[in-house]
Amino acid sequence: MAEAVFAQFLTGFSIVAILLIISLGLAIIFGVMRVINMAHGDFIMIGAYVAYVLQYYLHLNLFWAVPAAFVVLGLLGVVVEWGLIRQLYGRPLETLLATWGVSIILQAGIRLTFGPELRYVKAPDALSGEFPVPGSNLPFPYFRLFIIVLALVLLLMTYWLLYRTDLGMHVRAVNQNRAMAAVLGIDTRRIDSAVFAFGSGLAGIAGVVVAPIKTVSPIMGFKYAVDSYMVIVLGGVGRLAGTLAGATVIGEGETVLAFLFNNVIGELLVFTMIVLVIRVFPQGLFTIQHRRTENL
Amino acid sequence: MELTRRDLLKGAAAATAGAATFRAPSIFVRRLTQTSAQDNTIKVGILHSLSGTIAIIERSLHNAELLAIEEINAKGGVLGKKIEAIVEDPKSEVRFFKEKAEKLILRDKVVAVLGCYTSASRQSVLPVFEKTNSVLLYPTLYEAQECSYNCFYTGAVPNQQLTDFVPWLIKNVGPKFYLIGSNYIYPKETNREVKALLAKHGGQTVAEEYAPLGSTEFSTTINKIRAAKPNVVFSDLVGDSIVAFYKQYKQFGITAKDIPIATPITTEEEIRAMGPENAIGHFTSFNYFQSVKTPQNDRFVKAYKAKYGEDRVTNAVMEAAYFQTYFLAQAIEKLKGNTDPDALIQEGLPGQEFQAPQGKVKIDEKNHHTWLWARIGRANADGQFDILVTSNTWIRPQPWTKVLYPDKDCDFTKVPKGSKSGTITTKT
Repeated sequence: MAEAVFAQFLTGFSIVAILLIISLGLAIIFGVMRVINMAHGDFIMIGAYVAYVLQYYLHLNLFWAVPAAFVVLGLLGVVVEWGLIRQLYGRPLETLLATWGVSIILQAGIRLTFGPELRYVKAPDALSGEFPVPGSNLPFPYFRLFIIVLALVLLLMTYWLLYRTDLGMHVRAVNQNRAMAAVLGIDTRRIDSAVFAFGSGLAGIAGVVVAPIKTVSPIMGFKYAVDSYMVIVLGGVGRLAGTLAGATVIGEGETVLAFLFNNVIGELLVFTMIVLVIRVFPQGLFTIQHRRTENL
Repeated sequence: MELTRRDLLKGAAAATAGAATFRAPSIFVRRLTQTSAQDNTIKVGILHSLSGTIAIIERSLHNAELLAIEEINAKGGVLGKKIEAIVEDPKSEVRFFKEKAEKLILRDKVVAVLGCYTSASRQSVLPVFEKTNSVLLYPTLYEAQECSYNCFYTGAVPNQQLTDFVPWLIKNVGPKFYLIGSNYIYPKETNREVKALLAKHGGQTVAEEYAPLGSTEFSTTINKIRAAKPNVVFSDLVGDSIVAFYKQYKQFGITAKDIPIATPITTEEEIRAMGPENAIGHFTSFNYFQSVKTPQNDRFVKAYKAKYGEDRVTNAVMEAAYFQTYFLAQAIEKLKGNTDPDALIQEGLPGQEFQAPQGKVKIDEKNHHTWLWARIGRANADGQFDILVTSNTWIRPQPWTKVLYPDKDCDFTKVPKGSKSGTITTKT
């Protein structure tokens, strides 16, 4: 029993890592631009198809798909931001509808190109096995360990970009006070473009890493979209710690409850908890408390 | 010549009709030509989702039915008439199933509809078929406990997949079963029967667990399975969940040698989506596998691949979709072209036999379900099944399985003519 609990704890980390990877991109875009990207799940889906194409047609290892998906989705992000979101700035409802339209277009496009069937993406051979957890004889998949490590790397990288570079300083300035930042000479449009591209690229990476353990199909994005919205709503926007907290609470919560009761009750209790938390902290668990001169 | 009042009326009617033809907008003209074409063809409705969530599997049913129609027409059709397929796409949404069924029956006046996949979609269209007294042929394996005068069920019911399977598993693998399913009616009903069979044959249910429909995260369940140490994991997960579950099962280091997964639902199609290495050694019970060795199946698989692509696989639900099309054609032939629904339901379809890819199959004379073969397959490295057991004979469908409902059955021959309900007879 103790072993099972320990295994459960580890498994929970891998779920937290998946949630973190799928919601990081959305969190950054929402946090900085206040744009809710309804196509986020479909960006993840495109990332998974990048992995599929590289593996099936070019016979490349899944590792190659990580940078490839980041670049492909980053470019797609630039195009969507430039063609759509920039035109609708300050009109959140229209942005919502427009990105929803993007979501439908992407799904239909993939269905037309690859068909509605589920697609198969294989984990790299180096990561396909499992290893005994130290101090016990429980096996744990290498691939899940890879996801945990990758989540940490992406989190640290994002942290470094936001808090240790000039670009990051500009991003935070725009986030806190767009008008003032513009007055001080920051090209806010370029910042928006960069942020959207980066967030989209992260969604692409998320697609690659979920492909070998879940399913790949044109409609796979929806589930991840819901999960990532939950993480952000719970954690609060504008802080990476919020995303991490949201992912941890939902991931470990669901895992532990599913273990104690079952999956259905686990899901139910976690959703109830999210509703209660939002009732008490409408801003989410973590939010930057600062004066806002803008009416957002 | 004396003009009677009747002649006058006739003349007037003809004139009005003629005028209508000339003056009517083009849409009416097209409908008139359609009706005249109807004389040379037999219209059959095809109602499977071609887009949306369930399209993944339903498109293959649609494909199989079109293939059968093409074959029938190539051989000269039915009594010299070609079958004309009227295809509708209900987009995986229950309400569209109902609308499209109404359209097919009322506007296109099809002889019968081949269609639906999920139980939800079937149950949403059944009232339409019952109200308009039309015929539906339904190819999916399902939880049974249903008998509609207007529906013929050509897929398996639980007794045809489980009666041999569960005792075989107990004997060859072990008695302790861990049941896992998606959280809706089909898995719950199937598991009820599995539990009854386990109790009857000395097996044991270690745990019974359900995952939300569409769930793709099973690490917790797998940890629980490892802790419970069963001999068999009996899965009636459906859709995306199947693929995710098998993949994660292997990633967490449980192989078929340790604890095999046994299931009445995982087909070649899901194995293709998960990769054969994730399915290897696990058991599936079905009436049909692509690897069945019959001349009919060789031809079916070859024709399907030729029409839809070399990398395609065939599966049990498709096979039912394929042979139910032949059932319908043969029934119309038997009735000498009479397509009256009551004639089809009472005389045409019951007792109809066909040499299907799985072997000879037959629509039961009484309960509108189909006699099918039972097979147990073990997934191999090519994504196909090695067939370990084939039943000695075809198996009678029991809409109310004897294990759970010894006194319940369904018999349309005992119902007074004209009665559409009260078809369930309870033996006393």
